[in-house]
Amino acid sequence: CFYAFVEDLCSLNQCKREQRCVFVTFCPNSCQSIPVSNDTRDLLLATVSEDSTASQIHQSVSALSALGLPLASQEVVSALKARISKEDNVLAIILALLTASRLSQQAELGDILEEIEDLAARLDDLGGVYLQFEEGLEATALFVSAAYSLSDHVDMEPPLKEDQVIQLVNSIFSKKSWDSLSEAFSVASAAASLSNNHFHVPVIVSAQGPAAVSHSHPFLRLQVTDVLCQPLSSASVLAESASAVSSKSAVLSQALFTLRDGVFELNFMASQPASGYYQFSVAIAGDSRFVANHVELKVKVSTRVAINNMDLSVVDKDQSIGPKTTRVEYPTKAKASFMADGHQNFAMTFQLVDETTGVELTPHQTFVRLHNQKTGQEVVFVAEPDSKNLYKFELDTAERKTEFDSISGTYALYLMVGDATLENPILWNVADVVLKFLDEEAPGTIQAKTLYVPKPEIPHLFREPEKKPPTAVSNTFTALVLSPFLLLLILWFKLGANISNFTLSPSTILFHIGHAATLGLMYVYWTHLNMFQTLKYLAIIGSLTFLAGNRMLAQKAKWFPLHFLSFGTRLISQI
Amino acid sequence: MSNSVFSVISRFVEEYRSSTPNKLKVIDAYLLYILLTGVFQFLYCVLVGTFPFNSFLSGFISCVGSFILAVCLRIQINPQNKRDFLTVSPERAFADFLFAHTVLHLVVVNFVG
Repeated sequence: CFYAFVEDLCSLNQCKREQRCVFVTFCPNSCQSIPVSNDTRDLLLATVSEDSTASQIHQSVSALSALGLPLASQEVVSALKARISKEDNVLAIILALLTASRLSQQAELGDILEEIEDLAARLDDLGGVYLQFEEGLEATALFVSAAYSLSDHVDMEPPLKEDQVIQLVNSIFSKKSWDSLSEAFSVASAAASLSNNHFHVPVIVSAQGPAAVSHSHPFLRLQVTDVLCQPLSSASVLAESASAVSSKSAVLSQALFTLRDGVFELNFMASQPASGYYQFSVAIAGDSRFVANHVELKVKVSTRVAINNMDLSVVDKDQSIGPKTTRVEYPTKAKASFMADGHQNFAMTFQLVDETTGVELTPHQTFVRLHNQKTGQEVVFVAEPDSKNLYKFELDTAERKTEFDSISGTYALYLMVGDATLENPILWNVADVVLKFLDEEAPGTIQAKTLYVPKPEIPHLFREPEKKPPTAVSNTFTALVLSPFLLLLILWFKLGANISNFTLSPSTILFHIGHAATLGLMYVYWTHLNMFQTLKYLAIIGSLTFLAGNRMLAQKAKWFPLHFLSFGTRLISQI
Repeated sequence: MSNSVFSVISRFVEEYRSSTPNKLKVIDAYLLYILLTGVFQFLYCVLVGTFPFNSFLSGFISCVGSFILAVCLRIQINPQNKRDFLTVSPERAFADFLFAHTVLHLVVVNFVG
């Protein structure tokens, strides 16, 4: 305890009930010298029962054990078991585990110990990489520290398999900053228990700096630590095998790392590996508690490249004149410039080798860049190796004139060599090449490629209205279509369709009005209304017409032809 | 041959004039009117073009529909068919005719645009 804290604790007896429990819970055993009143002690003992929550039981048991007061372990165990079955949540069970680790070793802790396995079954497996409770990181971390503290207390290995431990470590240490102090505490507590328990100690292996070796840095350095980043000096690190990723040939087998200044190192360059990537399989031994002690690592071997036999020549196309080859040494530039027009090809050959071993290399990037000093134009080609790893580049001016936009002039020739495994990428101005294209094809002014300039606007074309026939034609046909109506009237007149039997009774008039109104409604529907409004009006007019019509039926007047006549007028709505 | 056709036609016309009641003749005149209207609309479409197509369709369907309804009315009113339509009086037939026409014109006006 901190000394200032001790002073406060002496006034413990005057504190309020709940606060007393909380104060003493996290005190280490040296608090046993603090005087505690009987009142406080009885209060703490009384809290140990089925009616308090698991956290209250945990706090009072911790307080009692920290203060060195006697407590009945069996009672605590039964109270805990009752609480677990009542409060079946993860946090309560974790608190029960923590409480049990404070009890005497003679107590029957078997049932509580089984809870570890039940809780482990509740963990969610996320993609085979993470294992955590759905309650979150804090619960997972507290579970780990509680499980290991109880297992250490009863000296029985916790039922957690190796990959479960690895996945738990992945989850707990996945965050670099935490939301709350309690979350941070739980992670710290889990880290402490994982690095210092009797059963499982996860091992963290990481390369010091980038996992790369070269002639200047021949040692592969590994840091082997526990989860608290304390170096495991007692471990022995063995590279079981190392094989090239590309060719799968084994380079190393059973090589031991030596410990120097807390870091394990191995001189990999001593086995003279070619440049490239290698897959290492490393085993860490030394303690039976080590978990996750087989690791796979990818190591890069870098080298320096040298250019040999750089030969430049101008070859005549019809091969009447023999090629003139000029050799250039890196990093100098060829003194004379080379001329190539439509009748000649410009050619370049070279070899890329490892500086130290002389082995031929094929790096990822071998580019030949031609840069026109005056216009700023730049054209890049790729140089390809043939089967004997000899790089060749040929420029046919006539064939390639589109890339150059047929602009003649002096071009500076650069060779660019690069790769992830090369320590010295190369940019070398090899020579100047004067290219001549047929003049009439050269553009008048050189335009910079307008890629990011606003493009010409596309005007929107509205839908053309359909061609309509001339109005005269439409009018003629309208008249034609309406003409049969006249014919109808004539025929009816001839047949003697009589209007004479027209009796003026209210129902007849109403019927006619209703009928005419329906016709008017149709016209108005065509011009103004929509279907719903029309149906509404139609319902009103229609019902009136119907009632009036019924009445007329009863009167049995000879209204038939007249109404037929009036009905024909409906068909004027035809276009 | 043509002689016999001609004599058949003239006989038919004579029978029609004498034995058909006036009511039915009125309806027949109406039917002729509807027919001519439909024919003229179709002629326009064939000669000038189908724009606007929906208007042509609605007008033509209106003609066809009205023709059919009038034929139905004629059948139901014909006294010679009285035995087939015991429950339907001529007034009832006419009322049905009016109602059906209302529905037809509602649809036609909706479609004519």
